Amino acid sequence: MTTTLESVSVASANRAPRPPRRRRLGADRRRAAYLMLAPSVIHLVWWIGLPVVATFGLAFTHYDVIAGTIQWAGLDNFREIFADDIWNRSIWHTIIFTFFTVPVAMAIAVFIAVLLNQQIRARAWYRAAFFMPHITATVAIALVWMWMFEPTLGLFNLLLDRVGVNGPAWLSDPDWAMPAVILVSIWKGIGLKMLIYLAALQNIPHDLYEAADLDGASGLRRFFAITLPLLKPATFFVFIVSMIDAFQVFDQVYVLTPDGGPANSTTVMTYEIYRTAFSEFNISVACAQSLVLFAFLLVLTVIGRRLTGKDADEA
Amino acid sequence: MKPRLAPRLALHLMLGGGALVMVVPFFWMILTSLKSRADIAAYPPNLLPDEWVWSNYQAALDYAPFGTYFRNSLFIAIGHTVINLMLATMAGYALARVPFRGRTVVFMAVLAMMMIPTYTKIVPQYLIAKGMPFFGGNDYLGRGGYGWLDSWWVLIVPGALTPFAIFLFRQFYLSLPRELEEAARIDGMGEFGIFARVMTPLVKPAIATVALVTFEGSWNNFLWPLLVTTRDDLRVIQVGLAAFQLAERTEWSYLMAGSTLATVPMIVLFLFAQRYFVQGFATAGIK
Amino acid sequence: MMTETRRSRLRPLAAVLTAALLTTGCGGPAPSGDGDDGKVSGTVRLLTPIFEGADGKTVLEKQLADFKSKHPDVAVEVDYTTYAKLNEKLTTSIAGGRPYDVMLMGVGWIPPFAAKGALAELDENKQDLTKRYNERVVQPGIYQDKVYGLPIMLDTRFGIYRKDIFAQAGITAPPSNFTELREMARKLTVRDGSGKLTRAGVDILSNDLRQTFLPLMWANGGELFTPDGKPAFNSPQAVGALQLMTDIIRTDKSEDFGFTQPGATSLPLAQGRAAMMVGHNNHLLAIEEQAPELVKEDKIGFFMINNERPAMFQGGTLATVSAKSQHPAAAKALVRFLTDEQASLAANEQRGNVPALNGLADSDYVKSNKAAQFAMENLDAAFSEGGVPAWLEIRGDFKAAIEAALLGQKTPQQALDELAAKAQAAIAKG
Repeated sequence: MTTTLESVSVASANRAPRPPRRRRLGADRRRAAYLMLAPSVIHLVWWIGLPVVATFGLAFTHYDVIAGTIQWAGLDNFREIFADDIWNRSIWHTIIFTFFTVPVAMAIAVFIAVLLNQQIRARAWYRAAFFMPHITATVAIALVWMWMFEPTLGLFNLLLDRVGVNGPAWLSDPDWAMPAVILVSIWKGIGLKMLIYLAALQNIPHDLYEAADLDGASGLRRFFAITLPLLKPATFFVFIVSMIDAFQVFDQVYVLTPDGGPANSTTVMTYEIYRTAFSEFNISVACAQSLVLFAFLLVLTVIGRRLTGKDADEA
Repeated sequence: MKPRLAPRLALHLMLGGGALVMVVPFFWMILTSLKSRADIAAYPPNLLPDEWVWSNYQAALDYAPFGTYFRNSLFIAIGHTVINLMLATMAGYALARVPFRGRTVVFMAVLAMMMIPTYTKIVPQYLIAKGMPFFGGNDYLGRGGYGWLDSWWVLIVPGALTPFAIFLFRQFYLSLPRELEEAARIDGMGEFGIFARVMTPLVKPAIATVALVTFEGSWNNFLWPLLVTTRDDLRVIQVGLAAFQLAERTEWSYLMAGSTLATVPMIVLFLFAQRYFVQGFATAGIK
Repeated sequence: MMTETRRSRLRPLAAVLTAALLTTGCGGPAPSGDGDDGKVSGTVRLLTPIFEGADGKTVLEKQLADFKSKHPDVAVEVDYTTYAKLNEKLTTSIAGGRPYDVMLMGVGWIPPFAAKGALAELDENKQDLTKRYNERVVQPGIYQDKVYGLPIMLDTRFGIYRKDIFAQAGITAPPSNFTELREMARKLTVRDGSGKLTRAGVDILSNDLRQTFLPLMWANGGELFTPDGKPAFNSPQAVGALQLMTDIIRTDKSEDFGFTQPGATSLPLAQGRAAMMVGHNNHLLAIEEQAPELVKEDKIGFFMINNERPAMFQGGTLATVSAKSQHPAAAKALVRFLTDEQASLAANEQRGNVPALNGLADSDYVKSNKAAQFAMENLDAAFSEGGVPAWLEIRGDFKAAIEAALLGQKTPQQALDELAAKAQAAIAKG
């Protein structure tokens, strides 16, 4: 098995002098690669690259979208946002949110994926059940959760009432609102992560397990010795994507705890960006806030690459 | 590998319990969709509907032109899925399997594209759509007209390719063994042939994943279709569902009925696509 | 490698930024002729956050057919949206240099949009308008003595109470000042053996917190801004109003924080879980849906919030014309048509709101809707929020400040002082 991953990196690292024919082959391959990349690069540069560049530019201006005026602002917008305690709190909330949603949901997801990779009856239905939170539009299903969290009429407190516990006000309680949002987000996020792990598990050659079975390895040992290392590329992917999602969480937070939650206890960075841009019509400041978000994600991605190891994502 | 009976039972218990927790909100959603407004407000609350109001579904469908919305959403979602699969597989393959200068930079740039939130990008994206040269009465500099706004172009093209898909495909192509392409190359196969005929059939689970996620994302998209269209005949299913939430009150039973109906096609699609997550066939070609 | 990255990233950045901003600047409409020969013509684009759903669309289209018969040369293209996404639609269309000719928007939008030159002055003057409208109703559409918006419908907030619950408790009339309000609320509050609240004496949490606080503040004699546009919502009167809310929750415990919230699935008042509330005229419709017998048996009553003076919160939807409209004459004709008796009555009826025109007080609709009737009878005591261009930046911070007081994290004075300081900074920034 080790051949699958390492042979690739070893081969490309060994760029020893090559016979002329091989070099021509390399040029041909590169040309093919450029052609295959071209449509995507053009599309991404046009539809996302330009907006991203505009974001970088606008963050250093005073752009009044209603009046249609634009002026150079230097670092004014950044000074403004870091003087805003609500924004600073939103950064902290986002970090807490990410800390609790990403690793927890990832662990649950890989566990379920391994279970659902067995040959068992009704597997398709189990898979559907775990993926369902992801396929439903967030707004509608978050409203259902909001209802289930209602202090007197909601499912949670009705159940707690049965066992004699006086439940908290959940989304209206500054101490419970964020945990409730995190719970919903974990629930919502498991499906996609599970699916990716499930897809990645298909790429693990069968014979490896058979060899392990001969050695008499336990299920748990098999998981840590064979499965998990081979899931590295998938794990790197899931980690990066989940983190980007978590840092940009908006829909469920906005529906569950509108307007920043009780006493701004659930305001997250993307909510602040949304509010600045579309309640206050202050696009430039929203761009500055977005750059801060961008910087966080960039740093975390680089760290993620280091942690999962270069071999995993570098051929 | 088929586990024995006792572990199998434990497995079912565990998965069954987990699955139940996952679908509780959906039961609540479906039950609500069958309640009358007074029943929803009943205090103390009822679990099951007092009387099963199936007519909520008809009423919800009559609330907006859902036939048109459904057709539009379907069309856009299929368009997005097909384009995304075609472009992202190629890009993912090139980034994973062909060494060239600047590859890491391109890859990091693809990741960076995901790091600016939607709400920030949406105004520039709107301006780009409006400024598409030669369309909608625009001149060659994109002035004078309204570009792609209010057209199928703007509904399909901008959202058709996702960095997510490129990234995922890259990771999957990365983990394929090198022997396969070497063998094909010795047989005289070109790079594109290796991509299309040797490697891509091996990442079917990734294709199924991207297809599902793209389709679902596009099906549930709301803000972009609303912003770039002004005509009702170009609007999508989520715009229709949003109309159930009025400024001062929510039409709960209709919203739940509409959301249930909107979820059904996604579940069907999932049950169909999940067949591709079957252990073993990806490795079939290696031996 | 690092330098290579940086260089290759910077060059396109510069080029592209220029291009992106050029699009913004030059994307404006090319000038075209607007028949200035008395007869209006052209295609007018209308953005509406009201007339939602199939019902709303049917109503508007019927009205527009009438408009078409009066102005055969004007075509109207309607873009239906909701208040939830109105700002996104406004932002993108204005940024793209292709604003809608006629825009329907809320009260708070007029001063910022007018101050930034996005709205065209309407050919109306205040004197003439006050013949058809109550003066209080006209005011939100005026900025610096010029008329920019005409009201189609009003959203009002006042006191709503359960006559049956009041009668059971032997209370004959709704509260007429803050002291009575607190006393009655205490008396009407019910908790079960375990201390769990089963009926709130007064529900101040079902309505948007800002829009609950403001009528209390006005009733207590407070103002939002001084005449020269400085924050006044930390005056003793305003603090008194927030103190009242805090007392209800924290001292009297006539309601628990978190007992309900705006947008909850059901209204405590309709369920008998509250005896009175600060509510929206539209809550009558919600009650009618959730507990129809309460409306049929006339168990719902209304009262003005009163202490120093009676007060009612008034918001609403106004029709405006874009300053960039290519067919201003046609657009203004559409505004006049939409705000006229026939069309505005239809709009209000569809949404269960309060008509703005005095003439509609006698309409069958208003007579049949007790909340609308009550609101129209009391328009003399209506107050509107906003008034300063920075309002849209300020208003979002009210909720957290009020919550901080209700939760006991800050005193009402502290909460409002901090809010006022923040507002002052926003105003000063321009």
